[in-house]
Amino acid sequence: MLKGRRSRTPRDLKNISNDIGAFKEFKLKTEGTVKSYSNKINKYQIKEYRMIDLLVITAGFLILTPILSVHRLTDFMIFCIFAMSFDLLYGYMGRLSFGHMLYLGTGAYFCGLFIKYLGGNPLLAILIGIVFAGLLAMLLGLIIVRTTGACFALINLAFNHIGFFLVLSPLRNITRGEDGFGVTASKLGFLNFGSRPIMFGFTLFCLLLVYYILRKLTSSPYGILIRSIKEDETRVRFLGYNTFVYKWLTFALAGSFAGLAGALTALNYNYVNPNAMDVHSNVGVVFACLIGGAGHLYGAIVGGVIYMVISNFLPIYIYRWEMFLGFSLLIIVFRFRMGVWGYIQRLWGYLVKGKVVPGFIE
Amino acid sequence: MLQIRNLDVAYGHAKALHGVSLDIEKGQMAFLIGRNGAGKTTLLKTVIGLLKPQKGSIAYQGEEISGLPPEDLYLRGLRYVAQEKKVFGNLTVQENIEIAAFASGEPTDTALGKVTSMYPKLKDFLKTKAGQLSGGQRQILLVGRALVGEPKLLLIDEPTQGLAAIVIDEIVNILSGLKDRVSAVIVEQNLAMVNRLADRIYIFKEGKVARQIAERSEISDTKGFEEYL
Repeated sequence: MLKGRRSRTPRDLKNISNDIGAFKEFKLKTEGTVKSYSNKINKYQIKEYRMIDLLVITAGFLILTPILSVHRLTDFMIFCIFAMSFDLLYGYMGRLSFGHMLYLGTGAYFCGLFIKYLGGNPLLAILIGIVFAGLLAMLLGLIIVRTTGACFALINLAFNHIGFFLVLSPLRNITRGEDGFGVTASKLGFLNFGSRPIMFGFTLFCLLLVYYILRKLTSSPYGILIRSIKEDETRVRFLGYNTFVYKWLTFALAGSFAGLAGALTALNYNYVNPNAMDVHSNVGVVFACLIGGAGHLYGAIVGGVIYMVISNFLPIYIYRWEMFLGFSLLIIVFRFRMGVWGYIQRLWGYLVKGKVVPGFIE
Repeated sequence: MLQIRNLDVAYGHAKALHGVSLDIEKGQMAFLIGRNGAGKTTLLKTVIGLLKPQKGSIAYQGEEISGLPPEDLYLRGLRYVAQEKKVFGNLTVQENIEIAAFASGEPTDTALGKVTSMYPKLKDFLKTKAGQLSGGQRQILLVGRALVGEPKLLLIDEPTQGLAAIVIDEIVNILSGLKDRVSAVIVEQNLAMVNRLADRIYIFKEGKVARQIAERSEISDTKGFEEYL
C-alpha cells in the first residue's frame, strides 16, 4: 500500500520548512492588508451609516404608502416619534413610565390652543407644543426622576390622571372639555397642513429629524451615560456624575419629543380632545417599545409600526382584539425579550458576521 | 492623606463601627482584614459617601469629607471598586472605560491606552460587552477604570475574591506598580497579597480596630494575625 511513497530526505524537509515560512509571511501580509482595508471600510461605514439609516426609514414608509393610506401612515409616523421619545426614557435610561401620554397631550393641547386663540402659524404652534411639554416635563421631572422602579411608573401615571381630569373638567372653559375643539392651521407658503401628502412629508421630515437627533445623542458620551444609569445608578455616581441632572435632562427631552408628537397629532386630526391625554393609551407605547426591542431607535420605529398595524387592522377581524394584545405581551415578556429588532440584529450578526450577537445581558 | 477619627456608623439601630480611627499617608497601601461582618466594607462605604457616619470625622487631604456625595469625591481623586465585580454589562469594555474618562476629563485615547497597557489582553475585548468577560477580566477592568483620571486614593473591596491564582497575580502586579504613586485602602483576605503590598494593616473585629500593624517585620509574619480571620 505504501509502495509508491519514499521516505523524506533532509532536503525535502528543508523545502517544506521553507514553504511554511513563505506561507506564514504571505499570511501576515494578507492579514495586514485585510486589516487596513477593514479599517477603511469601518471609517466609511461610520460616516455614511446615519445617512443610510435615514434613507432606509424613508424608503420603508414610502413602500408602505400604496398598501396603507397616506393619512394612516402619517398617524403611524407620529406614533413612531412618540415611541422613540418613550424609548429614550425606557429603553435607554431604564425608567418605565405609565404616564408618557401626559406630554403628548400637553403638546397637542398647547399647539391646538395656540392656533385657536392666538393665530394660525402651524410651525410656531408646533414649537409652542414642544416647549410647553418640555417645560412641564422639566417641572414634574424635578419630583419624578428622584424615584425609580414601580414608584416612577406610578407617579407618572398619577400625574397623567391629574392632567386628564384637568383638561376634562376644571379647564373646560379653555379646552372645551370632552368635546374638544377643532384646529385649523393657516397655510404657510407650500406648507398646507390640510393637505394629506404635505402632512405626510412634514411628519416624515420630523421623524427623520427626531431619529437623527436621538441617534446623535445616544451614541455620544451622554448616551453611554444614560445607558449606564439604566444598569446601576449608584455606580455611575461613583464615577463622578451627578446622575440627577442627567435623568432630569433625559426626562425633559423625552417629554419635549412627546410634545412634538402631540402637536403633530393635533395638526393631523385637525382636532384635539382629552383622548390625546388618555391614560389607557400608555399601554400602546409600552407595547410598541417592547415588541420592537427597547433600547434601540430602530426597535421603537419597528415596534411602533407593528403596534399601529395591529391596533388598526386587528379590530376588523377580531372583536376583542385587546385580548390578543395581552397574550402577545405575555409572550414577549417571557420568550421574546429582545423584541423584533433585537432578533433581526441577531440574525444579521449570524448570517453576515458568522457569530452570535449577544442580546441584553441581565 | 486620609485620617479617620472615632468613626461610628450604624445601619438603622444596628451599630456597625465603634470609634474606628485610621491613618494613611500619601503613597501608602493599607489593608483591612478581619472576619465577615467585622465592618471593613462598612468603613469603605462610609468613606465613599454611601453611608453617613453618626459620629467622628473623615479628613481627606486635610479636608472634612463625611457627608459629601460620591460624585464629588470622585472628582477629588477618590476611587471606589466595589465587591461585586459589577461592570456595566450591556456596555462594551471600551465604553466602560470611556465613561470614566468623560467624568475625569481625561482624553479617551489616553484612558484606553492606560488601561490596555496595564493589561494588554483587554485590547482584544474592547468591542465586547463587558458582561461577557470572565470574573477576573472584569475585576481587572474595574481596577483599570479606577486609574483613569488622576486617582489619589483607591478604595478597593476584596479585589481577589473568587478569582483564580493567576488572575490574583495579575492584580497584585498591577497594584504593586502603583505603589508610592497612589494611596490605597484595600479590604482583603488573601494574606499572600497583603504580605506583598501592605504598608499598614488594620485588623477589624466586631466593628472595632482590634490591632494595627505598621512594622514591616510584623506584616510579613502572617501567622501573627491569622487568628483574626
